[in-house]
Amino acid sequence: MKNEYIPFPSQVREIIRHTDIEYTFRMSFSGSVKPGQFFEVSIPKYGEAPISVSGIGAGTVDLTIRRVGKVTAQIFERYEGSVLPMRGPYGNGFDIENYKGKELVVIAGGTGLSPVKGVVDYFCEHPEEAVSTTLIAGFKSPQDILFRQDFERWESALQVIKTVDSAPEGYRGLTGMVTKYIPDLPIVDVSNTDFITVGPPAMIRFTIMEILKRGVPEQNIWISHERKMCCGLGKCGHCKMNDTYVCLDGPVFNYAESKHLID
Amino acid sequence: MGYQIPRQKADRLFARLKQNYTIYAPKLFAGDGCFSDTDIIRYGKITDLDEIEWNRRSDYSFKEALLAINEVLFYFTEGETTVPPCPEKKLLIFLRSCDLHAVKRLDTIYLKNGAEDFYYSRLREKARFVLMGCWETCDTGFCASMDTNRSEQYDLYLKLSGSSLWADCKSEELQPYFAEAEGTVCDVQPDSVTENKEKVTLPRKLSVESFQNPIWESYGSRCIGCGRCNFVCPTCTCFTMQDILYRDNANVGERRRVWASCQVDGYTDIAGGNSFRKKQSERLRFRVMHKIYDFEKRFGFPMCVGCGRCDAICPEYISYTNIINQLAKEET
Amino acid sequence: MGLDINTKKAKKNAYRISKARGIGASRIRVPGGYLKAEILGMVQEIAEKYGNGIVHLTTRQGFEIEGIRLEDMDAINEMLQPIIELLDINQQEPGSGYPASGTRNITACIGNNVCPFANYNTSELAKRIEKAVFPNDLHFKIALTGCSNDCGKVRLHDFGIIGMTMPQYDPSRCVSCQACIKGCKSLSVNALRMENYKIIRDEEKCIGCGVCVTKCPTRALTRSKKKYYKLTLMGRAGKKNPRLGEDFLIWTDEDTIVKIILNTYRFVKAYIDPSAPGGKEHIGYIIDRVGFTEYKKWALDGVELLPETKIKDCVYWNGIHFDR
Repeated sequence: MKNEYIPFPSQVREIIRHTDIEYTFRMSFSGSVKPGQFFEVSIPKYGEAPISVSGIGAGTVDLTIRRVGKVTAQIFERYEGSVLPMRGPYGNGFDIENYKGKELVVIAGGTGLSPVKGVVDYFCEHPEEAVSTTLIAGFKSPQDILFRQDFERWESALQVIKTVDSAPEGYRGLTGMVTKYIPDLPIVDVSNTDFITVGPPAMIRFTIMEILKRGVPEQNIWISHERKMCCGLGKCGHCKMNDTYVCLDGPVFNYAESKHLID
Repeated sequence: MGYQIPRQKADRLFARLKQNYTIYAPKLFAGDGCFSDTDIIRYGKITDLDEIEWNRRSDYSFKEALLAINEVLFYFTEGETTVPPCPEKKLLIFLRSCDLHAVKRLDTIYLKNGAEDFYYSRLREKARFVLMGCWETCDTGFCASMDTNRSEQYDLYLKLSGSSLWADCKSEELQPYFAEAEGTVCDVQPDSVTENKEKVTLPRKLSVESFQNPIWESYGSRCIGCGRCNFVCPTCTCFTMQDILYRDNANVGERRRVWASCQVDGYTDIAGGNSFRKKQSERLRFRVMHKIYDFEKRFGFPMCVGCGRCDAICPEYISYTNIINQLAKEET
Repeated sequence: MGLDINTKKAKKNAYRISKARGIGASRIRVPGGYLKAEILGMVQEIAEKYGNGIVHLTTRQGFEIEGIRLEDMDAINEMLQPIIELLDINQQEPGSGYPASGTRNITACIGNNVCPFANYNTSELAKRIEKAVFPNDLHFKIALTGCSNDCGKVRLHDFGIIGMTMPQYDPSRCVSCQACIKGCKSLSVNALRMENYKIIRDEEKCIGCGVCVTKCPTRALTRSKKKYYKLTLMGRAGKKNPRLGEDFLIWTDEDTIVKIILNTYRFVKAYIDPSAPGGKEHIGYIIDRVGFTEYKKWALDGVELLPETKIKDCVYWNGIHFDR
């Protein structure tokens, strides 16, 4: 029987630095993987952390890691030319098929952009497959903006609203919470519009309130939940909400089916 | 097949079993209770029939025989991982009917919810279960209410009474030990209770609305979050991962999993500072709803087996059975 | 005929001579404050028959039957006999009441018969010490308390006995919940920390209170099979220099404590000031006069300490000095 707990070694191919504390690690991986899925990435002797897939390339997956805990701090110290043990991918991920032929709006806060980045990339490369694609991305401050090179690419092909909660005087970009931009989104047909929202729990909550105000049906809203996960295998119990295991049944949920989930 | 075996022969039989099985049973640990000059009954390896605590329910369940409190998943040496070998001997685990029903709950999480768990599975395959009878009800158990007061799923039933060991052996693997024991063949039926002092009615109309019930706040405000209810529960299975760096050699370490409690601080903390159930009342609601609602919704049968240990151990006298009965009463 | 009472003899017999002429009080010692309820009925009977119906609960856990007539002492002694027997008080001559009063009743907190924090059975040890030291005319005050909370206020006594337990840690049962660490920090001396997810106990800091053991939800922390004690010395109230008793032995055992107390009686006999008023000189003052080093020599005579016992080389007392 396969021992799911044993990680496999994965080569760090490339490092993309976004901010002082947020890097994307391009890791070698050749299995099948979907945006929104996650890997348990470990630094031996320090611990494991669930990291969502922020990009998928030929023989690689991108893992965008924010230095927030003990494990990620170690990864930042020891990345150079090294191998990181990982296991996964786990979880369901986003199904691109759901969004084809739709007006798609992706609303992400901070590193919440990682799990949906694969979806944004797909429609950036195949803009004709959606009626329209809009990205609203919010960051705390201009220094916290992630995926700077990607934004240049996205801005040429999609409608992009890149906003920061607060900025020093003289900042020329947009400011304010992501929710500020929902009421004025140009939507042609609400019943054919899908929203994906990922970010901190409070952001998700307020974003959904605004989306519902636009008359969008609940089943057109998709969210990805971040919870504590020690195993990713439905065993450790930490990610459970109601009868649902985020690691097995999520982390991507349809809002209509998951709105009753309570921590 | 049933047997009556005189004590001396039973001891010889036990000695033979011991050669091929590691035997876990409830044992009295004198003086190891919470308070001075109090005892505790918990599981341990035994080498003699007299070490078994036959009369009283164990304070902690059998589950540590299958799921160690601390379990090493693998050792790290420079760039390599080594999985500790599975113990060679098979296991004989003595338990009561409620706990035998709990095995099905452990199996459900560890073998059926997602991929099979390598470590549980390899130990579970080696485990044989010895049913201990209950000729009278324990104080806080409510097995009759949960329909767990009887079990047929045992490999062996044993009872030590007077100068004889009474056995009902269902397992072909264990049969030869009894055939050799020179006992008298007879019909042996496991002792079981049909009624408890504690009676519980499961609420059957729970829904997500129940999450808002004020009962959680009223009991949660009394809870100190010690986690005893989880640690004694035969059906709680949560764990947390820990990576250890050996102090004397920084290149060597281990990853292990350790029992976790949904009542204890840190259970829902994620890197970056978010925590999803901060209040004790939310944690208590989470536990109780899992035992009597969420698990059943997912797997088709209630998680709780009615052993009553959580009620007996709670230092704040929070009665889980009372909570359930109150929820049921509100439905009528 | 005038009232002819040998007050010295009466006092030794555990009677108080009160401020009212001819009226006294009968004192009943209850080692460890532990008694069968039936004794209460006997006390009531004496108080109603020979006293004024009032009983004072003494500061040392005994009874004092008020308002008795001094000429009734013999009759009262007869009635005290069943109480003396039920409490198993040493006595040479049945029916003669208490043979001494100098060594006071040995007090104790409720101990582990009831209290979840106590580390031993205080009343049992109080009775053991009572059997070893009583009757004695020397003025000794001994008190026992179950744990470092010192509800028994034993540091105000010549000998204070504080229950301790040596926490036993089984890392294989530890789930890193830190209940012990939090308990030790908030209720005790913050002697625990976590390293590599396991508990490290600062042995220098640990006072053996047992809080960690009561907090542990998995029985990773349990009590030592052996019961340990802290022995504090020469605390006192009084007019000259009230002070708290100081630690002498830490992690000691019952046998050692009993031996040291008995040795102290020998020390006092050798050094007591024969000209002291009423022949009474308090041990603490004797040690102040003779010096701790000399006392220690006597106290430890024939005593074999446990290897784990920590002993104070020298003991210094502070307190308030009204006499300087």
